[in-house]
Amino acid sequence: MLLAFAMVAAACGSDSDDGDTAADTAAEEPAAEEPAAEEEAMEEEAMEEEEAMEEEAMAEFASSPGIDADNMVIRVGLNTDLSGAFAPLTTKITDGHLAFWEEVNANGGIEGWTIEPIVLDNAYDVPTHLENYESFRSDGAEGVAMLSTSTGSPHTASIAGDAIDDNMAVIPLSWYSGWGDPGIGANVFEVQTNYCVEAMNAVTYLSETFGPKMAIAGFPGDYGEDGSLGAKYAAEQLGLEIVYDGQGQVVPGADQTPVITGIAESGADFTWLTTNPSTAAELIGGAAQAGYTGQWSGNSPTYNPALLATALGPVLDTSYVHSTYNELWGTIDTQGMNDLISVMQARRPDAPFDDVYIISWIEGLIAKQAIEQAIANGDLSRQGILDAFNQITADLQGLAPDQSWSGDPNTNVVRESYIYDVDLAIYTPGATVTTEDASNGYVKIQGPFVSPTAEAWTYEPCFKADF
Amino acid sequence: MTATTAPRGWSYSLGKISTGGWFLIGIGIPLGGYLVYELFDDPVLFFQTTMKSFGLGSVYAIVALGFVLIFKATQTVNFAQGALAASGALFVSYAVFDGHIPFTTLRNPLIEIEPEWLGWSLSVVMALAFSAMLGLLIERLAIRPMVGQPLFSVAVITLGLEIVLRVFNNDAVEVDFRSLEIPYGTGGFTVGDAIVNWSYIAAMITATVAFVAVYIFYRTRTGIAMRAVAFDQEAAMAQGINVGKVFAIAWAAGAVLAAIGGIFATQPPVKQTGAVEPETANIAFRALPAVILGGLDSATGALVGGLIVGFAEIFAGQYLAGQTDLLGPGYTLIVPYVVMIVALLVRPYGLFGTPEIRRV
Repeated sequence: MLLAFAMVAAACGSDSDDGDTAADTAAEEPAAEEPAAEEEAMEEEAMEEEEAMEEEAMAEFASSPGIDADNMVIRVGLNTDLSGAFAPLTTKITDGHLAFWEEVNANGGIEGWTIEPIVLDNAYDVPTHLENYESFRSDGAEGVAMLSTSTGSPHTASIAGDAIDDNMAVIPLSWYSGWGDPGIGANVFEVQTNYCVEAMNAVTYLSETFGPKMAIAGFPGDYGEDGSLGAKYAAEQLGLEIVYDGQGQVVPGADQTPVITGIAESGADFTWLTTNPSTAAELIGGAAQAGYTGQWSGNSPTYNPALLATALGPVLDTSYVHSTYNELWGTIDTQGMNDLISVMQARRPDAPFDDVYIISWIEGLIAKQAIEQAIANGDLSRQGILDAFNQITADLQGLAPDQSWSGDPNTNVVRESYIYDVDLAIYTPGATVTTEDASNGYVKIQGPFVSPTAEAWTYEPCFKADF
Repeated sequence: MTATTAPRGWSYSLGKISTGGWFLIGIGIPLGGYLVYELFDDPVLFFQTTMKSFGLGSVYAIVALGFVLIFKATQTVNFAQGALAASGALFVSYAVFDGHIPFTTLRNPLIEIEPEWLGWSLSVVMALAFSAMLGLLIERLAIRPMVGQPLFSVAVITLGLEIVLRVFNNDAVEVDFRSLEIPYGTGGFTVGDAIVNWSYIAAMITATVAFVAVYIFYRTRTGIAMRAVAFDQEAAMAQGINVGKVFAIAWAAGAVLAAIGGIFATQPPVKQTGAVEPETANIAFRALPAVILGGLDSATGALVGGLIVGFAEIFAGQYLAGQTDLLGPGYTLIVPYVVMIVALLVRPYGLFGTPEIRRV
């Protein structure tokens, strides 16, 4: 069976460059070359054999949810935020992700299989996320073989149990430290480092650079408290003084005066935030007005470079340090970065310039490599894709450290992160991906790097959510 | 049986203070005492907090006035007010940040006018005109055909419009901290040691102008027609009043007020960036307790309700900041609703709302 499948795959793969199917190509060749009758008979025989093997291989995939074996289509789901609190970031990530699949499909798909992304908007709302998941898990037209994006920590947590029941592999657009724990997210395959380790690395850098007094402020829940707890762990290890503890105190949509007052009166050398950009802007602007002169940083989703084009730009220029999980647009010369840039420029020339497309690419690369492995294993069922995730070491082509998921979480957890300075002078507002010398105003300080605190940390979920 | 008098939570007669009245007095005296203590403890902070409250209260009052105008004419709560606020702010961003006339690639000539603040102000007026057109368009396409239909259906339509406009703003326009290039920025000036934001003053002045304009409008022929329509649509039509025209004016004015609210929703004390973003649309829902508190059909109620809710939110945020262990971190979110609920318990139609008289 494997041999038969490999032959079919090879036949499909040979045509992948021009995008034609094996059958199309084979049908054209006799007319062009006019082979001898014997050769023709042999070729026909080979083709019949090949078709029989293909049918046999397709039969194996036929009953899988999210798989249309007749048309060789694999549906993958994107449960993403197109209209909620993180929409400015996630609409771009989604767009980049779709561009990735378009490119894959244009180049013959994955071993001849076309990827059909199904996008549903969760509006950063947990009930909507769950509702969307009901469509994704179904055998209907929106049923998918895997989720290549599940946006939000509590949102992904809300479907983690169902994903296990459905054997559904899920790539989270969330960096919650609990995903590495099989007891929490057995089918959730975390990408890059987590909020907790990111905070450990960044707080180490910030304390060495700006001083030992730290304020912490973050959203309640898996995202906010994971980052806050990482900062606290680093503070404990490094002997820092937490002069304001706002873990879980920042409630989205509420008047932030209590937190602003706490930070402004704390006398902190720096403040670590785990919020969204809008709320971060409220805190940074409000505290600056109240006389706070310390530095700011936060988990990656806290910051949005578009803030540089607002009245807050000068404050961010002088006092914000950006922490993140990967390289940024055009800063390295690797296959992953070069592919990303050329594809986005070709397929989305008017797309606003942003580094978040790198996240799109990383998610796409991981999903693609898992599907390739599942096809190689001859099992495209949800369970087959799940098994494939546990076999591969995802090659992120230089965009971020490579990643694998099988075995000991303490070994697998990614501990590297990156630190960038924010520089208003080089920021190019309104740039598109084709704008020459476009910049989001980042200057790399260091990365990938692992702080001694993160290096010595033994993996366990920093924030233990009650799922 | 016919109810000839509206139910009242309290009587103004001191001899007949109701339970609700005593309840308010019971809350008011210790609260007042505590605020007097804070005033003497740190007068600078108290003054800053008061000015901030006036700023937020003015923004709420402007947004609430938009709700009231539309409700007064159409008897419908416009749930699309938030999206209209964000759209209006977006039009301003197009005009002053991109330098284009909204929805076109044509250069906005007004932005070239010197001094800079004048060019900006004229551009804002142009953006408000676009908001008015959006209001008119919505009224003509989605509201006018529903005249005579159940009010519940009309309210649901406005809810649908809110979602459509929000998604359009987020997806098609890609709202992502688009600056409004506010000439006075997000900074302020000092009075003694107290910092007062320019945006607070701007909001107060704008609210004053808006309420005076509405006061004058209510005394014009069209304004009287609007009040007649609010009182009884069928009787107004019988008297030859063009109800459709009244609807259109109310929606245009409501959309303009929403847009002004949206512009202020990007500035302190609501936000700090001076830029429109998806959350800008939330200003309407934040102002909703003020609308209900003041009374859905009262312009005076919009002003008083806005100021009360603004003061309650800011003062609670400032002076209860140390009590989050007891109150929970999100307590400032519920303060406006607590104030609204307490007030409705004693004044079921809002502080200045018209009591509904029903025949049973």
